[in-house]
Amino acid sequence: MAQRLALQRLLSLPARGSLASHGRALGTSAGRRSTFNVQDGSDFQDRVVNSPKPVVVDFHAQWCGPCKILGPRLEKLVAKLEGKVLMAKVDIDDHTDLAIEYEVSAVPTVLAMKNGDVVDKFVGIKDEDQLEAFLKKLIGA
Amino acid sequence: MAFDMSQVKELFRSIGVEYYALELDATDDGASIQQVLVELTNQRTVPNVFVNGTHIGGCDATYQAYQDGSLQKLLGDNQITEPYEYDLIIIGGGSGGLACSKEAATLGKKVMVLDYVVPTPLGTSWGLGGTCVNVGCIPKKLMHQAALLGQALQDSRKYGWQYEEQVKHNWEIMVEAIQNYIGSLNWGYRVSLREKSVTYLNSYGEFVEPHKIKATNRKGQVTYHTAETFVLATGERPRYLGIPGDKEFCITSDDLFSLPYCPGKTLVVGASYVALECAGFLAGLGLDVTVMVRSILLRGFDQEMAEKVGAYMETHGVKFVRKFVPVQVEQLEQGMPGRLKVTAKSTEGSEIFAEEYNTVLIAIGRDACTRNIGLQTIGVKINEKNGKVPVNDEEQTNVPYVYAIGDILDGKLELTPVAIQAGRLLAQRLYGGSSRKCDYINVPTTVFTPLEYGSCGYPEEKAMEEYGKQNLEVYHTLFWPLEWTVAGRDNNTCYAKIICNKQDNNRVIGLHVLGPNAGEVTQGFAAAIKCGLTKELLDETIGIHPTCAEVFTTMDITKSSGQDITQKGC
Repeated sequence: MAQRLALQRLLSLPARGSLASHGRALGTSAGRRSTFNVQDGSDFQDRVVNSPKPVVVDFHAQWCGPCKILGPRLEKLVAKLEGKVLMAKVDIDDHTDLAIEYEVSAVPTVLAMKNGDVVDKFVGIKDEDQLEAFLKKLIGA
Repeated sequence: MAFDMSQVKELFRSIGVEYYALELDATDDGASIQQVLVELTNQRTVPNVFVNGTHIGGCDATYQAYQDGSLQKLLGDNQITEPYEYDLIIIGGGSGGLACSKEAATLGKKVMVLDYVVPTPLGTSWGLGGTCVNVGCIPKKLMHQAALLGQALQDSRKYGWQYEEQVKHNWEIMVEAIQNYIGSLNWGYRVSLREKSVTYLNSYGEFVEPHKIKATNRKGQVTYHTAETFVLATGERPRYLGIPGDKEFCITSDDLFSLPYCPGKTLVVGASYVALECAGFLAGLGLDVTVMVRSILLRGFDQEMAEKVGAYMETHGVKFVRKFVPVQVEQLEQGMPGRLKVTAKSTEGSEIFAEEYNTVLIAIGRDACTRNIGLQTIGVKINEKNGKVPVNDEEQTNVPYVYAIGDILDGKLELTPVAIQAGRLLAQRLYGGSSRKCDYINVPTTVFTPLEYGSCGYPEEKAMEEYGKQNLEVYHTLFWPLEWTVAGRDNNTCYAKIICNKQDNNRVIGLHVLGPNAGEVTQGFAAAIKCGLTKELLDETIGIHPTCAEVFTTMDITKSSGQDITQKGC
């Protein structure tokens, strides 16, 4: 338990490079660090629900075409915000319980979460302007 | 008598009821007891069964009481009736199971569905939705469409389309696209079950006691569940040949639709519609395909139409090896695909056939998944020959609280819409106060071979058997789809016929069509046949021009006249 709290504090620090050693974040470049794949229910609890920073949750599926376009588009914009917002990716076939808990019917479904609450949501693909507005609202509000 | 006695004991054992058996021939005053029994019950024979003091009768009477529920009612007072966890548990999440579960849930019942796919010998598995969605109708029709598009590309040049490139087919792109679509369907079913508050378990269900099943998930975790009523909807899986090398090296339709590599030169073993449809689209995609047939094509279907289906496939590059059965499959080289050597024997002599293929697809039939779900524990009878479940016209098995729907029914059609209809109507009868039964008569079907074959009603042979050849009039015609004219495709190949019952106002009792879009053509006529379509009504119907379907409104040549039906022009 203590390990997880320490890790959490570490994750919220803007320090670069230290995360690469934990092997959870994707890649080592600054841009990719703010995005991670959710491993399981407790990982979601730690890194999303209990996250001190707002988190954008991208529910996607292997078989979903639009998801493959939205994912990278969203990741790019989240990276530009340099750690102010994190992005969690959830494959709904791997984590069906989580998807059902958050009432995901169609994909992509993106939730904006702050302090464990869902404060915003959209379903389906969006263009860059719409995504920027979505993210701005999340960090602003 | 001894047989009847053990039958009755077996019955009580199967429903978990303790019985006391007084063997009259083992008791000293057996004869006088027998006399008293006659006075009390008017029955001289044994077994003579009493339940909680009430006289039931002999073996037949006891079974009857069990069938109609009166036995259980008598036993009721003695049982500690614990409330059941669910109103309805359905084993099998395919076309039938899902339709039944959603209907029952809509009617306010507490429902559970168990669905579990035992992986194929090669390790293939799939998600919720059953055969149709994952390894049947859906991917089949999409691959058939891929092949038709290939044909359309060829035709397109005749219509003026000009392009330099040689068009090739990429198997992996097609499979990925189809699997993505299936993935969305699997998810859609999960969402719809959740929306209707149906509990879904991805677990293997089997009966352990009356009204109780054991559910085992992929990780081996076990849970137990009880319900007042059960529905068996476990479907079927492909049968193997039972020869050396079949399970290790051959694939079936269960594996084909998600095969991650192009199958290459393929041997299809079988003459079922699965075999012919698969052989058809594989050849349409440009592969070298051979079909090995033991005897006839499309058993159970109209044989004149079946032979025409085969003939078209043959003129379009599918090789047929008839009257042979494989005896051995050896692997020459491992790979994706590898190289296999198939040895086959003639059914009429000692001739041997041996040939090399990349892939061998076995499509010789499907077996019901009823042997390992504990049916014997609760006394549900199955047809030992084929594993299918005999039911009455309300889909009830010999055990009153257990019903069955879909492909596993003995003597019924193996079609998705039939299972869905049966499932829905069953739920409505159980919980909605309905008495409507599923109508299995005049169900239309279509075989999606390269040249499609649609039919509704009797095959010609069965009609002759049932009504007598002299009482039938068969109208028929060859036709040339307009779209095929410019494309320069086969004329005098597409064919349509209707079988009329002369003794019943020339009622249309069979309709068959071999041509493009046969499924779309047949659907409407199925409704007409349900309304009692006659030749006269068909003649009074004006056709839509130019279509293929309109041939049914202008058919005037009969088989009996012997007239030539070859088309000469417009």
